[in-house]
Amino acid sequence: MKQILVFILFSSILCWMMFAPVYRHVAILRQALLQKEADYLLEVGASGRYGYIDANMIDESRRRLESRGFDPALLEYDVGATDGTDAANPERPVPRGTGIRLVISYPYGNLFVLDRLIGLEPVPGEARMSAGGVKMSEYVPGM
Amino acid sequence: MGKFLLFVLLLVFHMRLMALQLDEERAMHLVFELKHAVNRAVHAAAQQTDPHLLSMGIRAIDEARAEAVFHEYLQANLHLDGTGRPAPGSPLREPVDVVAFDVINADRSFPCRYRNEEHQLDVTFYGPGVVAVIRAEYPRTYRFIGPVRWTVKGAAELLAGG
Repeated sequence: MKQILVFILFSSILCWMMFAPVYRHVAILRQALLQKEADYLLEVGASGRYGYIDANMIDESRRRLESRGFDPALLEYDVGATDGTDAANPERPVPRGTGIRLVISYPYGNLFVLDRLIGLEPVPGEARMSAGGVKMSEYVPGM
Repeated sequence: MGKFLLFVLLLVFHMRLMALQLDEERAMHLVFELKHAVNRAVHAAAQQTDPHLLSMGIRAIDEARAEAVFHEYLQANLHLDGTGRPAPGSPLREPVDVVAFDVINADRSFPCRYRNEEHQLDVTFYGPGVVAVIRAEYPRTYRFIGPVRWTVKGAAELLAGG
């Protein structure tokens, strides 16, 4: 009886020890990929050529992230300008001097479910990791 | 008993490695985030053209506005409050110090070489621009790595056409 208990205890610890770091690594990597994607979208969107981040760019970004293992339906993009106007409209780009704000978020899902094995309360699945930034637009009308 | 001891030792060793790896990986991504925040802040600051001088045909930077906008963008990108302390949602735990902020304005002759011995910064400007250096500390999850303090530098020029 005692041996069975010890076996169960040790095997769950061993299981957690082997796989939990992998899932933590996945979480860090996903966060980093979201951040790189946000950096890229801001760099392109705030450039003098565009001045906006529209639905097309977001669709392309979803496809890029899909190829990295994200579920595109769960990705959420939040685009706005620092003066409160819409930054997703290609007809009315954000002018130079105003910032474009972008936040991409993605749920953690069951990445930390293994923490239950050692009695830790895992991060809830609906919690979202997010990455983003604010960059000043370079768009000058009529150039 | 021997096996048990070995198991515990292995556990400790493994946890240590895991913690080290986790912290180093996070630190590496965070330093990029800081660099991008500084880049965006100096970029925004360098776009603050002085409208009064522009009307006389001189492209110069409004220094007071540049500094205000620099702080505004740094705070927005790193989720800091008005005093440089991390607000909720910030990747940092310690306040960020802006140790250098300089505007290279239109009164210099270009190309202008900006040097800062203290922070080992050397930039050549071909037009008016802004340089900034910040200091930030990595929020360690575990104490297996020593404290990591970064000096992050950034420079931007006033864009042509502005």
